Amino acid sequence: MAKVEIGGRQFDLDGDGFLQQPETWDEDVARLLATTDGTGDLTDKHWAVIRYIREYWKANDMAPMVRKVCQNSGLRLREVYELVPMGPAKGACRIAGLPKPDGCV
Amino acid sequence: MADKTLTLKQSRALEALNLRLGGRLRTHLNSCVHCGLCGESCHYYLRYGDPRFLPGNKVDQIARLYRRYFTPQGRLLPGWFGAGDLNDAAIEEMVDVVFGGCTMCGRCSIHCSIGVDIPFLVRTARTMLHELGLVPEGLQSTVNAAIESGNNMAIPRDEMVDTLQWLEQDLRMEVDDDSAGIPLDATGKHILYTLNPREPKFFPLSISAMAKIFYAAKESWTISTNCYDTTNYAYFSGSDASARELTQRLTGEMQKLKAGVLALAECGHGFRAIRWEGPDWLGEAYPFPVVSVIELMAGYIRSGRIRLDPGRNEKRVTLHDPCNLVRAGGVIEEQRFVLEHAVRNFVEMTPNRENNFCCGGGGGQLSMGEYRDRRVEAGRIKADQIRETGAKIVAAPCHNCIDQLMELNQVYELGVEIRTLAELVADALVLKSPAVEGS
Repeated sequence: MAKVEIGGRQFDLDGDGFLQQPETWDEDVARLLATTDGTGDLTDKHWAVIRYIREYWKANDMAPMVRKVCQNSGLRLREVYELVPMGPAKGACRIAGLPKPDGCV
Repeated sequence: MADKTLTLKQSRALEALNLRLGGRLRTHLNSCVHCGLCGESCHYYLRYGDPRFLPGNKVDQIARLYRRYFTPQGRLLPGWFGAGDLNDAAIEEMVDVVFGGCTMCGRCSIHCSIGVDIPFLVRTARTMLHELGLVPEGLQSTVNAAIESGNNMAIPRDEMVDTLQWLEQDLRMEVDDDSAGIPLDATGKHILYTLNPREPKFFPLSISAMAKIFYAAKESWTISTNCYDTTNYAYFSGSDASARELTQRLTGEMQKLKAGVLALAECGHGFRAIRWEGPDWLGEAYPFPVVSVIELMAGYIRSGRIRLDPGRNEKRVTLHDPCNLVRAGGVIEEQRFVLEHAVRNFVEMTPNRENNFCCGGGGGQLSMGEYRDRRVEAGRIKADQIRETGAKIVAAPCHNCIDQLMELNQVYELGVEIRTLAELVADALVLKSPAVEGS
């Protein structure tokens, strides 16, 4: 676990850099997390992906299928991969403040 | 065995070892001569130089317990015979070494002067830790997801169906043929194709690629939307009961759908677990063949069922050999045969084939975030191997390896694309248009 500070607030990250307390997420945290994995500055397209993932997770307690991310953001699959070099799981879900998904990610 | 200093769980862990003490396990437990040759084969030891990561020390994690509790000399004179108690300190080191410092890649075994099956001993040690309730949380929760939901990412069935139908629409557009499809839950097909849940959930391009290849080969195939998971994380956690349960589900689905061949997606440990370990867990041979989709693709090329134009893949490609598919699985030359037909410029990494280095993501490491830094540090060897090839694309026929390679790509700034074999083959496919076919 690592501590990271933003705006005077401390955050706990797990070994893979996911927020330990997903409820402490806000958009400033997303901007910070995006600087650490090659994603960089967040554009409107990034926000469309991140906000959708976040809302979906709050409603369903799981990450959405990437199909839903595409259909709700209007982005093509390859565009999503280009936006977040670490992919939808370790990239987008992490920036959106979700806990790390199970499985080969 | 009735040792009053042991807790109930500790006794149970030793009993798990006792139950497995057949000829094979005893042979490997008794064979290490501590020559140390294995050290230079292990990506953890090479990166850290820490003797705890010596494969011989991994053997000792369990061998010293075997000697202490199951041999007369170790019971009487433990200090003289390298025997050690099962106590809190021993357990703590065991967890750190067999879960946190080993990917069960087996490279040490081929460099071992005796041929000790070190991953087999590591997995048996993990079985003991499973009895102690000490499987790392992320790994255990991946096993639980598979047992409870039917797949290791807990994808609901309707979501799975929606995704596959979405991919089917794309496929029809791409090949410009409305008869192209992804047949779901169809009975009596030749192939039952299984997936790594990571594909439908986050990375479906590899499913599209295989669907396109099956279409081109005019294959009779289906995907079950009830039971499709190639992975078996219980192989990593050490739980034989869960590993057996997951294997039984697949064999049951084969029978239910009356399929001829069980074809596994590009997944190293899944191939090893289902193809090679499954019959042991079930206690019987399968009544059907189990193949990797790599073998299928090679067969289509060899028999002329698909035609490829390597000119469509011009960039330099190198190949990562997933340990469980290659060193432990015996699928070694087929992927090379496929690449030689699918890409223009294929270059090997060094070393390769059964002497290949693990990417660092095996053994369930991806699910154990607490060891992430070690995983990435141990993966530096793989990153260096890739960089030396000058390749722009790494073909990795294992979804688990792909995720680790994506992370290495970012951390070590390799600037490569990581792709499945099927994706490269699909890009090279020469499809006859229906009009041409009729002429």
